[in-house]
Amino acid sequence: MLYSLSLRFLTLVILWMGLGVLKLDGLLGSQFVSQAVVFSIFVLVGALVEYYFGYTGDRNLVPVIQTILAIGLVFLIRIKPSVAQEQFVWANIGLILFYAILFGLKDYRKLEEYQYIWGMAALGLLFITLIFGVTINGATSWLRLGEFGFQTEELVKVVLILFMASYLDNNQELLRIGTIQAGRLSLPDKRTLGPFLFIVVFVLGLLAAQKSLGTALVFFLLMVFIIYMVTERLFYLLASLPVLILTGTAGYFLFGHVRVRVATWINPWIDSTGGGFQISQSLFAISGGKLLGTGLGNGIGAYQIPHADTDFIFAVIAEEIGFVGAMAVIALFLVIVLRALAISVKAPDRFGQILAAGIGILIGFEALIILAGVTKILPLTGLPLPWMSYGGSSLIIHFLLLGILANISHSSSFSISDVQVGKRAGVL
Amino acid sequence: MINGIRKIAGILVFSFIFLSMGLVYWQVVNADTMLDNPANRRAVFLENRITRGNIFDGNGVILAQTKKTASGKIREYPQGEMFEPLLGYATVEYGSAGIEASEAETLLGMNENSLVRKIQNTFDLERPGNDLILTLDSRLQEVAYQALQGKSGAVVALDPRSGNVLALVSQPSYDGNKIVDEWNKIINQQGSPLLNHAFSEYPPGSIMKVVTSAALFRAGLDTTALYNCKGSTVINGQTILEQNDKSHGWVNYDLALAYSCNDYFAENGVKSGENYFLQAAAGFGFGKKIPFDLDVPISSITNDKPLPEHLNLNLFAASTFGQGQVMVSPFHMALITAGVANKGKIMVPHLIDRVLDSKQNIICNSKPEVWLTPLSVQEAEKVKDAMILAVNEGTAAPGAIPGVQIAAKTGSAEPGGKRNTHAWYIAFAPAENPEIAVAVLVENGGTGGGVAAPIAKAVLKKALETKEGEK
Repeated sequence: MLYSLSLRFLTLVILWMGLGVLKLDGLLGSQFVSQAVVFSIFVLVGALVEYYFGYTGDRNLVPVIQTILAIGLVFLIRIKPSVAQEQFVWANIGLILFYAILFGLKDYRKLEEYQYIWGMAALGLLFITLIFGVTINGATSWLRLGEFGFQTEELVKVVLILFMASYLDNNQELLRIGTIQAGRLSLPDKRTLGPFLFIVVFVLGLLAAQKSLGTALVFFLLMVFIIYMVTERLFYLLASLPVLILTGTAGYFLFGHVRVRVATWINPWIDSTGGGFQISQSLFAISGGKLLGTGLGNGIGAYQIPHADTDFIFAVIAEEIGFVGAMAVIALFLVIVLRALAISVKAPDRFGQILAAGIGILIGFEALIILAGVTKILPLTGLPLPWMSYGGSSLIIHFLLLGILANISHSSSFSISDVQVGKRAGVL
Repeated sequence: MINGIRKIAGILVFSFIFLSMGLVYWQVVNADTMLDNPANRRAVFLENRITRGNIFDGNGVILAQTKKTASGKIREYPQGEMFEPLLGYATVEYGSAGIEASEAETLLGMNENSLVRKIQNTFDLERPGNDLILTLDSRLQEVAYQALQGKSGAVVALDPRSGNVLALVSQPSYDGNKIVDEWNKIINQQGSPLLNHAFSEYPPGSIMKVVTSAALFRAGLDTTALYNCKGSTVINGQTILEQNDKSHGWVNYDLALAYSCNDYFAENGVKSGENYFLQAAAGFGFGKKIPFDLDVPISSITNDKPLPEHLNLNLFAASTFGQGQVMVSPFHMALITAGVANKGKIMVPHLIDRVLDSKQNIICNSKPEVWLTPLSVQEAEKVKDAMILAVNEGTAAPGAIPGVQIAAKTGSAEPGGKRNTHAWYIAFAPAENPEIAVAVLVENGGTGGGVAAPIAKAVLKKALETKEGEK
């Protein structure tokens, strides 16, 4: 209890210090004080709720994510106050949803029973989006119902992970050992791999059709790494490389904006007012931050970089709190990824293991791909930085994933023997 | 399964470390080089919280000021086109140029290391910058500007005793107040208004003979010895023609310079040898960076090397009277003239007289110092006498001012091709105790005496008048 509360206080200190600096800069709108108070209450009440329900899962996971969220909120106020207001609301809803799943989901293993429903749901969601969706920033990834818009690919992340985890849990041995002998390799037969490949290929195809190439890349890596983890066969990892190169090349020739991204990746200065504007402004901001940053509220990236509140929030962070602050943010993400993998190792059953690791791998690649894009290590693909970028869909879905992850962690704290004799049912 | 998770954890940790290497690259290794990228507007944004200082001429006339309005700050140039492109501009849209660019740090007060300034910089507090007081005299600037209007070229006037720049006009110019609104029109206009012609290089033509004179003296030429000019001569198979093929007859050094006799300088220059010529050129600052607030290109004897060790004989002969590959800026030519006027000493040129902080305290002050000494006092006297003769009896006569003795030299430099010659005129006055030295260039204007001399005359006259008025 003391440990948990002191971590929450640390998070809130970061939040309020950030708000204090923004106040000195004259960048803090008065509405944010009350919003930050409400958010702080949510954070503290959350700790009490955990205590009340006897949460025994990973103690660092939630505070680290709340810290990421708090840093994100401070920077959103600084970059674009209008969206920060909304983000506070989404953050509170996200926290409620998180606790609802953590303590409301009696047994996550029930989720395994719906394996094909998850798969079809992933396809269905993307299909509906492709037909009825709205195109924003070049990607058709939004469903709109009146005032309310939702980015379906975020929800697809959840159902796809559930599908993969349940499917691979059921077919692990067959994938691992294989039934068909091809030279020295043994490959799984069509019946084993077929449905999985069918769903995955269609999901990636539909994402490509929507031009959500960043998400497609994340899903592809997620799939490859989950299979590798389950089978422990390097073959799957190596086999994915030519596939990645071939589809990447195809994408290059199919999509004009991919060619622009690659060209500006190779030389951002060649057209620094046109196609290379975003990446070059991002690099100017990052490099201007130097070791200690320009100070919160003093950077130029917040005004100069397009989409500074979503995909490029990290460039603003790196500028204003410098290399030191940017490294801290990267470290926080690494902590989450490693906590997720640790939860996976301790999970009482294989489904839970695959699910927890899948969530960790997903978050890891989401963060890596957008951060590598912003720092010109990889060509740019638009993705939100989990829990930091502005976006209700992304925030809600990541809290949902976090809820599942914490639920697994919570469940695995019961002794293995209990699980083995099947006494778990009805414990909660 | 557990093994697989461990390996994936390893891969992800490695990827995150690789990512942080990217940050090291941008934020530590490359942090400073990125600032120099022209597309980087960091410096302009830093300016937002600083009020750029004002710029005045030596008499307190405002040349540039920042005015605060409800919508923000605007930079105004009350003198319009007259001081452009020397003053330059400072915009968010198109960057900055001229004094506004070269003195940006001073105007913004960013180059000081006082504790107060450091704190202000750290917290980015709203603050005023420094004011610049230039050595320019707007009365001379106006005369030079009016005289050059409609032509393409430059006028540079210096005080030979101190190196202070009194006027610096380049035509065509533009209105600094309209730079943002009319950018496309300005950059597409003929004659490159954004280019400061005083800092552009041209063949000097006959005004180079002033430099060659030093070589003749050093080689021990008898300046009283007579030379018979027949209108053309052949050196190493190359025919050297006089302007309009006119033969000057028997001339000594003074008459040769006064009549601008190419053959005399080519024959005697070649006779004295390339070493003396190259030494003289180096003495006058060829191949050297001029120590100045603005960037002036290095004047050169050949295309390959500003100051070569050896010269091809034909090129050497042509160089003695400022053709061949000799290139020099009007600004440098004004300095050379000032050197002759100032008893053989070229002073370090100054454009900024003093810098004042927002409380009108003097932060820095320019002091006269010698840059080069190309001529001895006696040699300078000899050149001056010849330049006086050029005004009284020679080609420089159109520049003569009644009642004041001036010393001058004309130049009509062939730019190559069939275009009109560049008109040059260098002069200083009063000859006995020079107060002002001036160099005029009119691009493809014609002859120095016909086109450039009246402009120089107007400037000299105004300078001597105002001097008279102040007494």
